[in-house]
Amino acid sequence: MSMSIPENKKVSPFLVFFIINTMQFGIGVLGFQRIIAKYAGYDGWISVIITGIGIHILLWMMYKMLKIVDGDIVSIHSFVFGKTIGKILSAFFIIYFCLLTVMVLRTYIEIVQVWMFPTLETFWFALVFLAVVVYANFGGFRTITGIAFFSIVLPSYILAIFLFTIPYSEFDNMLPIFEHSIKDILTASKNMSLTVIGFETLLVFYPFIKEPEKSKKWGHLAILYTTFLCLYLTVLTFAYFPEKQLQLNIWPTLTMWKIIAMPFVERFEYIGIANWCLVILPNACISLWCASHIAKRLFSFTVRKTVPILALLCLIGTSLLFTRTQINFLSDLVSNVGFYLTFGYIPLLFISTLIAKKVKKK
Amino acid sequence: MKSPLLKKNQKMQELVKILKKSNDFKHVQYMNEQTEEHFSLMFMSTMVEEKIIHESILPFLLEGNFHRLEDVKKIVPLEEIEFSEDPLEIEKKLFNGFVVLLLEKEKNNYCFLGAHKEVGRTIGVPEVEFSVIGPKESFVESIEQNLNLVRKRIPVKDLIIEEQTIGKYSKTKVAILYLENMANTENVNTVRQRLQEIEFDQITDSSYIIQIISDNQNSPFPQLLDTERPDRVSSSIIEGKVAIIVDGSPHVLIGPTTLVEFFSSFEDYFLNWLISSFFRLIRFFAVMFSILVTPVYVATLSYHYELIPRDLLNALVASRMAIPFPPILEALFLELTIELLREAGARLPTKVGQTIGIVGGIVIGTASVEAGLTSNVLLIIIALAALASFTTPVYRIGNTIRLLRFPFLFFAELWGFLGIVLSFCILLIHLSRLTSLGRPYLEPLYPPRRVDFKDALIRLSFKHQTKRPLFLNSKKPERISAKKAKEKKDIDE
Amino acid sequence: MKSIYTAISILCIYLLLTGCVKKEILDEIYLIESIGFDHSKEKSNKGMIVGTILYPIYQPDQPPKNKTLTAEAHIKKSVLQEIQLQSANPIVTGSMEIVLFSKELATNEGVLELIDPFQRDPAVGSGLYLAVVDGEAKELMEGNYGIRGNATYFSNLIENNIKNEDLPKTNLHKFLFSYYQKGQTPFMPQLKRISKEKVLLNGICFFKHGKIVHTISPQEMFFFRLLVDKYSNGLHRVKIDEGEAAIRSIRSVHRFKLTNRFPKEVTVQIKVHGIINEYTGTKVTPKVIDSLQKEFEKEIDEECKKLIESFKENKIDPIGFGHFMKTQIRNFDLTDWTDSQFQNLIVKLEPDVTIAEAGVIE
Repeated sequence: MSMSIPENKKVSPFLVFFIINTMQFGIGVLGFQRIIAKYAGYDGWISVIITGIGIHILLWMMYKMLKIVDGDIVSIHSFVFGKTIGKILSAFFIIYFCLLTVMVLRTYIEIVQVWMFPTLETFWFALVFLAVVVYANFGGFRTITGIAFFSIVLPSYILAIFLFTIPYSEFDNMLPIFEHSIKDILTASKNMSLTVIGFETLLVFYPFIKEPEKSKKWGHLAILYTTFLCLYLTVLTFAYFPEKQLQLNIWPTLTMWKIIAMPFVERFEYIGIANWCLVILPNACISLWCASHIAKRLFSFTVRKTVPILALLCLIGTSLLFTRTQINFLSDLVSNVGFYLTFGYIPLLFISTLIAKKVKKK
Repeated sequence: MKSPLLKKNQKMQELVKILKKSNDFKHVQYMNEQTEEHFSLMFMSTMVEEKIIHESILPFLLEGNFHRLEDVKKIVPLEEIEFSEDPLEIEKKLFNGFVVLLLEKEKNNYCFLGAHKEVGRTIGVPEVEFSVIGPKESFVESIEQNLNLVRKRIPVKDLIIEEQTIGKYSKTKVAILYLENMANTENVNTVRQRLQEIEFDQITDSSYIIQIISDNQNSPFPQLLDTERPDRVSSSIIEGKVAIIVDGSPHVLIGPTTLVEFFSSFEDYFLNWLISSFFRLIRFFAVMFSILVTPVYVATLSYHYELIPRDLLNALVASRMAIPFPPILEALFLELTIELLREAGARLPTKVGQTIGIVGGIVIGTASVEAGLTSNVLLIIIALAALASFTTPVYRIGNTIRLLRFPFLFFAELWGFLGIVLSFCILLIHLSRLTSLGRPYLEPLYPPRRVDFKDALIRLSFKHQTKRPLFLNSKKPERISAKKAKEKKDIDE
Repeated sequence: MKSIYTAISILCIYLLLTGCVKKEILDEIYLIESIGFDHSKEKSNKGMIVGTILYPIYQPDQPPKNKTLTAEAHIKKSVLQEIQLQSANPIVTGSMEIVLFSKELATNEGVLELIDPFQRDPAVGSGLYLAVVDGEAKELMEGNYGIRGNATYFSNLIENNIKNEDLPKTNLHKFLFSYYQKGQTPFMPQLKRISKEKVLLNGICFFKHGKIVHTISPQEMFFFRLLVDKYSNGLHRVKIDEGEAAIRSIRSVHRFKLTNRFPKEVTVQIKVHGIINEYTGTKVTPKVIDSLQKEFEKEIDEECKKLIESFKENKIDPIGFGHFMKTQIRNFDLTDWTDSQFQNLIVKLEPDVTIAEAGVIE
């Protein structure tokens, strides 16, 4: 069941940093502060740290599993559950990654519709965007990694732009610390999952890394960096908004941009939102790549066929969502599935793999 | 059944029959005065130097001790004397400026005497890649002279020159140059193989080779660097790159190359690293400016009025007040005008071209503003953008940049800034997919290689240039000993 | 051939896409720079709101002409709709600089409903200024101030006073911030029309539940700013026996400290670094400086206390003592802060004035 990937199609271990980081840092970042504050109030930043620690453990488990089977999620499934059941389980991942693509794209389109172009047609934008995604996918994994790299490096100036809000911030908003119960904080951690899921793509692209052992360090660094970014945003947001006002803003990150004025640009959010297109592009690319790659492994189609077909499905899915309720339903669904998949299923799979390994040794 | 000799003779006669149709074909019979051997000379008068025939060949053949064809070597003081039994050789040699000597006695043996006529210009000053500082010589059309220029700069035995002939009719000589102990074998093989695989009737210029052997022929980006500077070629060869010299073309190709190399002028290496880094950054800025500024203008004025600083509003709105067109048409109109001026200027003789530039710039620009066809703000923007696109040191990439502006412009019209970012994404994907001779085109930006940044967006001092570029995968990655370069004496020592 | 088909299909899609987003071409829209709200004067329209918009007509080589349009309606959005009936081009809110409320309207009806659309509208920036007009907003807007348009004049007036003089930081975000912050109440600057070409910044209005309950004079603004802005500057005159001095506070810092819990006592440390701008006495000796410092400190202490007393009287807390208490005391209950607890709060002041320089002459 294992496959051989030609050496020149693999990527350097340190690029894992960009893949994982870009997958985590996507559309969720624009609105997660409100969600964590809903449950844990302004102690939400603790939840961010807790989530970060949780993901570190999960990543460690994933690396361990992948090392045992030396393959991807499909090989793990067939290693643990046998061929038939393994295939069925892997097929769920195709659906999950497609849903992830649809969710990212539809949420982004909603933001554009609300903030920039109320008359933007979902279908047409999704068509062009997915065409770009397919074009990137045809370039292979290296190209996608390239996009991931640029989507981290090029928009990084935005991080500095957030500092413009500091004159209007009051950092004592977060005092006193630990006003909420542990349970509240953990609930907030759980609800943050939509923001930070995406690292599970490692289960698919693991065989594409040169010397995967070396990439471990970079994977963990990526998660550390994501946690740091989320923490940075959380602190700035909490300082900028009083709690009551934060609850009113669906996308607090975007609302914060409204205060930014530079001598040559009066308002920043339009540039920022347009820029976010580059940030979510690799999210869609990698998700679709993962889905099509699993499909290739399961049904032995060529990726050249699976990518356009899955993109078409995503296009249909995206244009079928009209109202905010529907979009919210989808993002709730994805974040729930994502949460149980990463924080529930992966540890389970990890234990099963360890057991299967012991049994097979005997 | 014909004997092979008869067959040969027949071929020979057929050849002569065809050749006789051309007026410059000469076939003259002679007789040696001493030995009374009958012999004849065949040559194309347009290809040979008649002076050589009259001074270095005929006197010796007529008066020398000439019995057999082999004797020629002894009696004729020429370097290039070859023998062959193959009548097919005759055609090849004739058109390469050889004189064919036939001896009545030995019908199936031919002797070729080199008497090339050298027609060509002398080495001049680089015109496309002119530099104020540094060498002023540039390549010419003749491959021999060009090879000489390069050899002179790399006088070592490791410099290998491999020649092949490409083109069914043009029979163009193409040479691959590389340092055997430096260049990556894979790169050399790729070049060699791609050249061998070329099937085309004519290779008029090295540009043909670029287009035919490029990794992605549908890309507007040039994937091989072309230069007319011998210094640049030799320095690239020493870096471990492969050069391709094409006969009849004053432009030499260098590969593998990367995108950033198209923005580095060779003069950068002649200036202090601080200054040249500054110039390079300016160039990158100019390119980004040139691509983005018109689309940004269109996007802002059509969709994002919120972004305009309030002090600028007055100037912008007032200048657009009387204009009947939407911003996109206004921008397209001016962009096309600039392109027209450039096209017209490029086709005209220098003196007339200058006049056209001035007339076009001043008269058309001012008139269209006064007529209310365009706003003066946009006129400034477009003129600057056009100016910025000419800052690229390599001519080819300048054309690419001018072309790139248009998709950006159309996307900006479609979705404002979102469209610009989207087209930027497409550009990024395209560039990440591109390769030059199988090596990543965007290197060192992607794949990110810290070491190669020493000579990319900026150029660090020679002290830091201890390694050859990583993407070339050179056999000798070390350029100078890093240890020695970094050695530092204490103060007052 | 294939590439020709691709090109044609791309062209077709492009043509389909054009016009799918609504354009707002700069010279074909009216950019509202300012909106003013008044009470309706006509008896038949009692309870209706008169909305006035101010937009510039730009002209080449000349300052923009101020143009106003007025309409009456029940709520703000319909005001804009009513005004739209009078205008030749679409009216857009994206480059609005200031919103004005007549004092009468703000005292009787409240401003909350009128502000709500501005925080909802993605086109409106958070840096928007809000101000109360002592008099009628429409009348103020119809004047002719400065050469760069009325709205720019108003906003520059406010901006300059924030940057260099006594006005505390204020804008839409600041207003909403203190409105939504528990244990804090918002305020707005107050403008007054003096003549057709002159406007005066004549105080600060304080709001409770969206209605003006209290106003302070420009003389008190200096002290109010010391209390409310973490960093501030401004000019104040101090009189001593030897003469009178104008002291410019270059930089002042305040710090709150909870010094006692039962009864609740807050100490406010105010550090002022000042220079002498003007002195009517004969010579500035160290002794004079010393007495100036003492006098200044005394005045800060007295005036600030007076201000806080007046806030207590009006049951408002623009300085945010309530919020401060919440950050200091765990699970602090703020529900009836301004009505009861604030009344019993003891505020101590520790002013510390340092006068560093006395200009270029001795």
